[in-house]
This record gives sequence, C-alpha cells and structure tokens, in this order.
Amino acid sequence: MDKKEKLMIANKELAFQNVEKEKRAEQLMIANKELAFQNKEKKKRAAELIDSNKEVDELEKRVKERTEDLESFTYSVSHDLRTPLRAINGYANMLEEDYSGVLDSEGKRVLGEVRINAKKMGILIDDLLTFSRLGRKGISNSKVDVNELVKTVLSEINESTAHHAEIKYENLLPTLADYNLLKHVITNLLSNAIKYSSKKDKTFIEIKSERKKGVNIYSISDNGVGFDMKYVNKLFGVFQRLHSNEEFSGTGVGLAIVERIIHKHNGKVWAKGKEGQGATFYFSLPDVDKKTEKKQ
Amino acid sequence: MENNTVEILLIEDNMNDAELAIRAFRKGNINNNLIHLKNGAEALEFLFATGKFEGRDTSKKPKVILHDLKMPKVDGLEVLAKIKASDLTKSIPVVVLTSSSEHPDIEHAYSLGANSYIVKPVEFDEFVKVVTELGFYWLLKNHPSL
Repeated sequence: MDKKEKLMIANKELAFQNVEKEKRAEQLMIANKELAFQNKEKKKRAAELIDSNKEVDELEKRVKERTEDLESFTYSVSHDLRTPLRAINGYANMLEEDYSGVLDSEGKRVLGEVRINAKKMGILIDDLLTFSRLGRKGISNSKVDVNELVKTVLSEINESTAHHAEIKYENLLPTLADYNLLKHVITNLLSNAIKYSSKKDKTFIEIKSERKKGVNIYSISDNGVGFDMKYVNKLFGVFQRLHSNEEFSGTGVGLAIVERIIHKHNGKVWAKGKEGQGATFYFSLPDVDKKTEKKQ
Repeated sequence: MENNTVEILLIEDNMNDAELAIRAFRKGNINNNLIHLKNGAEALEFLFATGKFEGRDTSKKPKVILHDLKMPKVDGLEVLAKIKASDLTKSIPVVVLTSSSEHPDIEHAYSLGANSYIVKPVEFDEFVKVVTELGFYWLLKNHPSL
C-alpha cells in the first residue's frame, strides 16, 4: 500500500469517526433535553408534593381544632348543666323536707320521681364529663399489678353495692397502663357483670388473662342476661343501650368510656354474648414482661 | 344586716345556689351570722369598707369567706387575689365554690392563696355534708373556743 492510499483510508476513517461523533453529539443533546425535561417534571412533582403535604397539614390542623372545639363544648355544656340541676334537686329536697305534711302520697310519689330523675341526670352529666375529659387528657403509663387492682376494685364495689355474685380470678398478668384509667375500665366491666347477672339465682363471674401474639388479653365473663350478637356493634356507642332503664339502670356511656380508654392504650375491646346465657368482655393491653425482656 | 358581726361571708351570684348553701349551713347547725353578697364588686366593697359599706369597721373580719368562681363584673379569682394581696384581709380563710373538681381555675385559685375548695354537688345531702364539714373546720380552726 503506498502512502496516498494509506492517507485516503485514514481520511475516510476520520470522516466516518466525525460522522459518528456528530451522531453521538446529537444523541447526547437529545438525552440532555430528555434529562432537562425529566428534571423539570421532578421539580414540578416535588412542588406538587409540598403543596399536598401542606394541604394534609392544614387538614390535620383543622381536624385537631374541631376536635378540641367539640371536647371543650361537651365539657362546658355538661359543666353548665349541673347548675340548674343542682337547683332542681335542692328545691325538690326542700319540698320533701318542709312540706311533706301537706303532700298526700301521690304528691310525694311525684316529687320522688323528680328527685330520682335529677339524680339520674347528674350521673349522666358526670359520665359525659369523664368521657370528654378522656379526649383531652394524656395518659401516664406505669407497670400495673392487675391482680392487685382487681382486688382493690372488688373491695370498693363490695362496699358500695350489695350483690350475691361469686367472683373468681387468680394470677392475672401485669401490664403497662395508666393506673387510674385501667381502674375505671375494670370497675366498669365488673359492675356491669354484676348488674347484668343480678337477676340470676346464682351469679358466677370470672376474670382471666392470657398472653397472645405479644399482648395480654383480659376477659370478664358472667352468666347474666347476655346479649344478641347482632347488636354487638352497638354496645360501645355513646348513649347506646340494649336494655331499658326499667330492666337495668344505666346511662349508656360506660362502655364508650371503656373503649376510649383501651384505645388510648393502643389496645382493643370486644365482646361475645348470647341472649340469656351471659356475656364476656375482652380487652387487650401491652405484655409488660415481654417489654422488660427486650430491654435486658 | 349587722355587718360588724358577720362571721361567714358568702359571695355567690346564683341565687339558687346561695339559698341552697345557706340552707346547708343551717341544716349542718352552723348558725353563725352570715352575709350573702351577690357579686365580687360588692364583696370587695364590704371587705374594704368602701361604696355602700363605707364606714364599716374593717377590724371585724369574717371568720371564713366562701366565694363562687364564675361571677359577673369582678370574678372569683379577682376577688381572691385582692383578698390575699391585702394585709387587712389575707389572713381570712377563703373557700372557693365551684361546679366541678375539673375546673382549671381551681389550681389557679390555690396559687392565689385559696385555703380550700368545695365542689357544689348535684345531690343536696352531699352539699350539706361538705358545706358543714368545711364550715366547721374553718370556723373552729380560727376560734378553738367556739
């Protein structure tokens, strides 16, 4: 191959490489444009995300404000309702004390009804106050000896209520909870068990606990009137009752409070029952032993 | 009203609550001379012998003051602050009356120097019980010879 020939081949090669280079440059430009476009899209998306995040924040803030409004409304309403109620009750009491000589038996009965209902309304208002307070206050957890707690609650119930229930419990698992709130739950569930089984000749109530999937499950069973499972969802609603006041007195707020307390502890509440054959109420709370084992 | 022999000063804007409180005292056999004033402004006039109580002998102090928290014009906390800020009145025991033990003002009242508080219960019998217990406590504590 002579020099001329070699040069021509080299030239051709160069020309070819040039074309290739231009092609590459063109491809690069396209890729660049694509990248720029994608960048723009990304920024747009980011901006959109920031916007929707702001919206979520805004919504959360509004929900929180509304909830607080509602809580303080419930609180002040139930609070202010006590004032006229105090007067109704007080004056009915005065009538009874100062004018019982003037009233005949029917008059006394009517007056009695006024007083009974004023008292009922007082309990109702107190329950509502408890319920609204639970929404406002935080909880302070500590290790609770549930067995001891049940013992305390039972002796308080025995002092205030006459009943014939045979109540069994032993070695209940300790848990992590707000002592006073958990006491409220156990008082409520035990009082309910006693109340709704009070019409049986023999009443048996059993409190049990077991570890299951990392949580403690507590149950309180009775052999009382029970309930129809098709109404189970109504049990925990505010002002929801499955019995009339004539059958069993109550305000319909108790189990709503229980549910709220257990939810505050990130636990669950549920119930099983059969009409005429008793009911069992369950709630779950943290397994305290499991947590301490982890720490060690 | 013989202002100079007042032993219990009741400051309460709600007439029903006042009537019930007075009845509760009587039922609890607390028959000390009592004056009922309807708002904080009147109470301050009484305590410091101004306005319509001008000329009252301020050395004759009530043995106990009971006042409501929620009152028009001068509210309970203001009255309390003024009572506890004055050398003339700060030694008089003050019992706050309130509708609920949950009231955030109770803590405020304690920080201002309130000596005790009574939750006005819905049940009248309960009311008699708490009013009597507290009334006795403060009346006797001040004057053991009573």
